[in-house]
Amino acid sequence: MDEIKKGDLFSIAGLENVKISIGDIVEEEGGNKDWEPMGPHPMPSISTLRDWDFKLLNRYKPFYAPLCDMCCLCTYGKCDLTGNKKGACGIRMDAQQGRIVLLACLVGCSAHCAHGRHLLHDMIKKFGRDVPIDFGPEVDVEAPLTRLICGIKPRTIGDFEQVFDYIEEQLVQLADAVHTGQEGSYMDFESKALHMGMLDSLSKEASDIIQIACYGMPTSHEGGGPNVPLVDVGIGTIDTDKPVVLVIGHNVPPAANIGDYLTDNDLEDNVELAGICCTSIDTARVYKKAKIAAALGRQLRVIRAGIADVVVIDEQCIRADIVELSQRVHSPVIATNDKAMHGLVNRTDDDPDEIVADLVNERVPGVIILDPEQVGEVAVKTALQMDKKRRKLRFILSDDEFKQYVNECTQCGNCTLACPNGMRIGEAMSRAASGDVKPLADLFDLCVGCGRCEQVCKKQMPIVDVITKAAYPQLREEKGRMRIGRGPIWDSEIREVGAPIVLGTIPGVIAPIGCGNYPQGTKDAWLIVKEFAERNYIVTLTGCMAIDAALWKDEEGKSLYEQHHGRFDGGGVLNIGSCVSNAHIHDAAIKIASIFAGRKLRGNYEEIADYILSRVGACGVAWGAMSQKAASIATGFNRLGIPAVVGPHSTKYRRAFLGRADLKDDWKIIDATDGSEIYCEPGPQHLLVACETVEEALPMIAKMCFRPSDTDRGRSVKLTHYIDLSLKYLNTYPKDWHLFVRSATDLPIAKKTELMKILEDKHEWKIDWKTKRILEGPIRGYDPSFNPTNLKRLVRERK
Amino acid sequence: MVTEIPFDVANIPGPETGEVVAPEVIGSYISSAKRPLLVVGSEILRDGFFVEIAIELGKKGIPIAATGHSIKGFVEKGYSENVQYYNLHDLTNCLRDPNWKGLDGKGNYDFVIFFGITYYYASQMLSCIKNFATDPLIRAVSIDRYYHPNARMGFANITPRQEEEYKAMLNRVVGSIKRR
Repeated sequence: MDEIKKGDLFSIAGLENVKISIGDIVEEEGGNKDWEPMGPHPMPSISTLRDWDFKLLNRYKPFYAPLCDMCCLCTYGKCDLTGNKKGACGIRMDAQQGRIVLLACLVGCSAHCAHGRHLLHDMIKKFGRDVPIDFGPEVDVEAPLTRLICGIKPRTIGDFEQVFDYIEEQLVQLADAVHTGQEGSYMDFESKALHMGMLDSLSKEASDIIQIACYGMPTSHEGGGPNVPLVDVGIGTIDTDKPVVLVIGHNVPPAANIGDYLTDNDLEDNVELAGICCTSIDTARVYKKAKIAAALGRQLRVIRAGIADVVVIDEQCIRADIVELSQRVHSPVIATNDKAMHGLVNRTDDDPDEIVADLVNERVPGVIILDPEQVGEVAVKTALQMDKKRRKLRFILSDDEFKQYVNECTQCGNCTLACPNGMRIGEAMSRAASGDVKPLADLFDLCVGCGRCEQVCKKQMPIVDVITKAAYPQLREEKGRMRIGRGPIWDSEIREVGAPIVLGTIPGVIAPIGCGNYPQGTKDAWLIVKEFAERNYIVTLTGCMAIDAALWKDEEGKSLYEQHHGRFDGGGVLNIGSCVSNAHIHDAAIKIASIFAGRKLRGNYEEIADYILSRVGACGVAWGAMSQKAASIATGFNRLGIPAVVGPHSTKYRRAFLGRADLKDDWKIIDATDGSEIYCEPGPQHLLVACETVEEALPMIAKMCFRPSDTDRGRSVKLTHYIDLSLKYLNTYPKDWHLFVRSATDLPIAKKTELMKILEDKHEWKIDWKTKRILEGPIRGYDPSFNPTNLKRLVRERK
Repeated sequence: MVTEIPFDVANIPGPETGEVVAPEVIGSYISSAKRPLLVVGSEILRDGFFVEIAIELGKKGIPIAATGHSIKGFVEKGYSENVQYYNLHDLTNCLRDPNWKGLDGKGNYDFVIFFGITYYYASQMLSCIKNFATDPLIRAVSIDRYYHPNARMGFANITPRQEEEYKAMLNRVVGSIKRR
């Protein structure tokens, strides 16, 4: 008999009325049986990991800060829930907040999942299902989250079809829970949000693996990992003397096709391919001449600056007014994704030259081309022709226009009330009118680029353009450098650093990720990376924060990526890649559990999350989190036992996960060696916490790296940085540093005597000064054999 | 000069929104508290005057939770009597727990005064207090230059040109508080 393949259709002799269609070939016993026995929770459903969630939620209780006191989701309402009142359906304010958080995570996870499914469709169409997952000699554990959650070891991109089948089924079930008359407990809403976060992380991993495999993005093959090249970042790096194609979004196939077209037609040196947001990061992974114009926060301003001769959008984080904005500067738009069509006409499969003619003659503001393989030709031809037409146009305000506008400002304050950062724009306008442009120029970086100020200006002033004009000289010099996204952390790197991370001598893995809704501008992103890289933490960046951190340089003109190595090792500054690439940060933590500690991965999420929470000093930092994706990303980190520190705007997500250091019983941890329960220090104290300023965040991030498993040497290193950062940025010792001291050997060596004196005088600990030992005081003593877990089932059976 | 529009204009929470009142009214209201707590944020560092106002309130026996990196201002002025650093999220989480022991170990507070905190962060924490610190009730007021709808009472929005007037208002608040 011939080999049966998916899609085959055949009849059986004697059963003429029966036809059998092969939907899928289940290869469990062939492809997946040998690598590891199946764990307890493959493809968990909503309730499977609920016990784990409740363990987290009882220690890190959901904290709610409603952004709106009402519920408007059904026709009973609006219901006033102020003061935790119940609405007409019976839901209380706390559960309603959990519901909204679940909704945010649903939207965020859907974006990642739908992107991944879309990408998979396109890649299978272009390359077939059998593209191998081969990340080179240094990566054997190719898909840790997929192995962990689904129990699948993917061998080709086609294997991810069942992964997306699973995610999509769960997404629908979780979406159902948001409906009126379903879930009513805030704890269960949060358990579902955590489930959603986990699915989000899985979606991201699948998406990045698919694009890495299909496009040959960096892995551990030659030139990958720490050795990836640098890419230009910043508006000033774009050569506007050439035609410019500007790509925006998160789905790389159309941009990759543009790069291919430029290469195939020998146009690489004649046309600039630049991008904004994650598409730009991924474009740089596939096209070596790509440039990164800016992160999300500067989208409006880059478009308004008229840099683009054509704008190509794919999906996510695209401004809803992109067509209107682009039209204003005569930049035609090509929409390439059915999730973001912006009212344009679908011209897929039309003659490319006809489409180009319509765009160049501005008969239409833009078109839709849904086949990524057709985008390159149209985009490049359009850019080449538009460049000639647009060359004589001017988009930055003239000096006279600028003067006229700043003099027109009445300082009514409407713009300040509309501004997310409350920028005092009128005051700066007034100073500019008096000849001092600096205060207005300084607003450029503080501005999050939303344009709400212009919506309320009584003078209809183009405030964003006025600020851009003031900052233009600096903007032209905005020329940063970053490593292109390296993708997976190598197994060999994990072998090198697994022990130092778990023992604490590499004090932590810091992961600055996410959008650009910063409270005080992009320089904070740079400062966070700088502080921790210089202190020998491993700093792994993704997305817009990876871009923003690259904009700033030291006195020698070097960016942090140029100053620091790119290995997953102490002092490294790694650009992992786009938003979807931050799954590799989860993966690194998971691989520490599997490769370093020998824990089984397959269908074993709860045990691995417990391991990470107790032992892996990792902390996410989403300083400018803005989108619903950021909500689901952070929640995914949290379920895996990784805390996150966020900026002040993130309090508008409504929910945090906060531990209480003062409640002793919340910090009982089991010693897996003998099953005894030990009162521990609060490490990590929170799973999700906001700081007001970067000065506050820096010591907080260091604090979030304490883990019960730290050795005394590791604890000493972590305490050193926690105390030092607090002294540097808060001018005082942390009020709780003593909670993390278990013995005198935990104390930073350089300050040992001074700290012991404080312990004795302020905290009334008993010290034996002859032996320099602590006799009484700590929550617990240091026990090198302590084997922390939150799961009773992991207590070793006594023989 | 003033309006009742939230400082972030779309930040309209619902049916219950705070009153705009004169400084003396806030001072009198604070005087009625049994256990008040002053919560200050990093914006007090923009001018030494605001740190001095906080210290004056501290000297009236109102303990101070210094959030953000505002503790720097107190350290620089050598004031340490009843002030300590607290993360604002962490602090608000404690405030909603009636059994919290407070900064001094003597129990939770019945009144909080927000001062010098980044607007939107303060607004969210005031929202938490309004919605969840209800039994027993914690009263929350703002003496910031922003109108805060989630506070029970506070000032209207104050423009940069009204800075001196605002400073005078703060002095009037301090002057009208009758405590030890």
